[in-house]
Amino acid sequence: MARIYVHPLPVRIWHWINALGFVAMIVTGFQIRYIGLIDLMSFRTAVVVHEWIGFVLIANFFIWLIFYLFTDKIRVYHPELNPMKHFRASFRQAMFYGYGIFKGDPNPHHVSVYEKFNSMQSMSYQVIMLLLVPLQFWTGVLLWDVKRFSGMIDMLGGVRVVDTAHVLIFIFFSGFIFMHIYLATLGHTRMAHIKSMLTGYEDIEEEHGGGKQK
Amino acid sequence: MASSRSEGAATRARFRVDLTIAARLALAAVLAVASLSAYAAGGALSQLDQQCLGCHSAKGLEMKLVNGDKLSLQVDGTEFSKSVHNKLGCAVCHANTSFENHPPVKTKIAGSREYSLEMNKICESCHAPIFKLYEGSIHAALFRDGNTYAPVCTDCHSPHAVMAKATYDTASGAPCSKCHGPIFEAYASSVHGKATLACSNCHGAHDVSAATKEGQLKNACLGCHQDAQANHQKWLPNAKRHFDAVSCPACHSPTAKRKVDLRLYDNVAQQSVAEKAGVPQFERRARSADAKGAGLDAMALYSLLREFNREGLDNKTTLRGRLEVSTGVEAHQLTRSTEAIRDCAKCHQQGADPFQSVTISIVGPDGRPVRYGAQPEVLNSIISVDSLGGFYAIGGTRIKLLDWLLALAVLGGIGAPLGHMTVRWLFKRYAKKISGQEDS
Repeated sequence: MARIYVHPLPVRIWHWINALGFVAMIVTGFQIRYIGLIDLMSFRTAVVVHEWIGFVLIANFFIWLIFYLFTDKIRVYHPELNPMKHFRASFRQAMFYGYGIFKGDPNPHHVSVYEKFNSMQSMSYQVIMLLLVPLQFWTGVLLWDVKRFSGMIDMLGGVRVVDTAHVLIFIFFSGFIFMHIYLATLGHTRMAHIKSMLTGYEDIEEEHGGGKQK
Repeated sequence: MASSRSEGAATRARFRVDLTIAARLALAAVLAVASLSAYAAGGALSQLDQQCLGCHSAKGLEMKLVNGDKLSLQVDGTEFSKSVHNKLGCAVCHANTSFENHPPVKTKIAGSREYSLEMNKICESCHAPIFKLYEGSIHAALFRDGNTYAPVCTDCHSPHAVMAKATYDTASGAPCSKCHGPIFEAYASSVHGKATLACSNCHGAHDVSAATKEGQLKNACLGCHQDAQANHQKWLPNAKRHFDAVSCPACHSPTAKRKVDLRLYDNVAQQSVAEKAGVPQFERRARSADAKGAGLDAMALYSLLREFNREGLDNKTTLRGRLEVSTGVEAHQLTRSTEAIRDCAKCHQQGADPFQSVTISIVGPDGRPVRYGAQPEVLNSIISVDSLGGFYAIGGTRIKLLDWLLALAVLGGIGAPLGHMTVRWLFKRYAKKISGQEDS
């Protein structure tokens, strides 16, 4: 098995800060919204922790952004603009996850330094990193000081509209986090992808020619 | 004894005439030397006034008015001599009094209230600026609306005992408590009442306006409690937002029943929507939108808002929500800050009591709000995202549909991987079975 270095250190640091941070945000967000249902901490503690970690995650986002903007690794996030190619690749990947994987078929996607995401991952992460996460940060900051940002909030339709957007994205991430962890266990071993996010190295199957390097 | 009755009447008539003549002679003499009268030193009354008081200090002196009221004609000379009008004397206000018409047996006074109202017009002639303030007040507005018992000058300022300082009596709450009794009772045991602060400290005196006028009382609180906002910011997240959306008594009158009032607000003009006098649209529209008469539900509120947004092209009517206490009495039961509500869960929880009571309001022509009931569901329904975009208390007024979506997302997020794992495991078993091979 060859090893390729797919997750540079900044990416790994960013990832694990995000992982812990997102879990904390989801738990404190749940406590804030559902104070009658659970009692892990007081409302005020939940709000304070939520806000502090929120700002840490915003700073963390900029680690990710600056890394990718100023290195050639940004190519992993380049979208497939050819719709047919994109559809074919996505369909093939979906068929693998929905059927082929049960039969023991190999993964149609081959990880390489500049193509570490499969087609479905690529699309999801673009939407997540470039739309959902910024939106969540933006709505979160607006809610952090409603009075200060009242002009912008009013323009968007009011604090309820902003909060509804924030909650909808919270709902998405609450579901996504379970899917994300499970999909990470679908490597050639259960811990393969998780290890690679710790060490930076992904093991790839030799018989596929060591993966395509562009 | 028919003749004695007519005799009695004739006697009384003669007596009255005699008295009239006697009084007129006396008055003539008095007026003749009026120009030569001199004031004694030390605020004592002029000779002219003393002459008036010669009759008018008599206990029980009164006259019967047209409607049967008895108008007391007795004046306490000592009090008048201590009052700020002592140098003016009787003649300045009672200028209509003259030799020819005193006592005014021919003058018909309709009633004691009518007499007061008539005499009150004289105050304006010297006190024009204060009178102007009064005219802008809620008391004057009520009076103009037709309530002749709304306070006029002499209802608060005893006409013959006007003092330089305010007339407020800290022990009894007079004169305000004359009409606002229950409020004074509640106020007297509150932290401000015990500090013997007068009502006018917060409400103004001559320019007292409707208590719920936008921002006014809050500014009165902050006028003395200037560091209140800074103090709240130390521990209260979004303190400034709370100051906008929650009235001070809502937390500082902890035993009060709280509610939400949704005020019609014009985003373009940046002020509350007010109803013009004589054009009571709000209640009519609200009633017609409220099909079942049980208070506006979410759809009814939405259509009511649309009606307000239809008429003018340059307005944008929205709803601004405010958490308040239910009654004026509760608003006066302010306690020490240590007893104020600090527990976020009091409001930021599903089913919290402030959100069980909702009204929609518009500013009425006299400044007081005109309210119409709404159902609590207006705060939680999905339509609220459009009609109530500006009012939201995290957790407390959340949209239930989103809770279902969350449950779905979490169950799906856990269920899909579990299902997938199960299918993989089943396939492995099946593959083992048909091929008899060991799986790696």
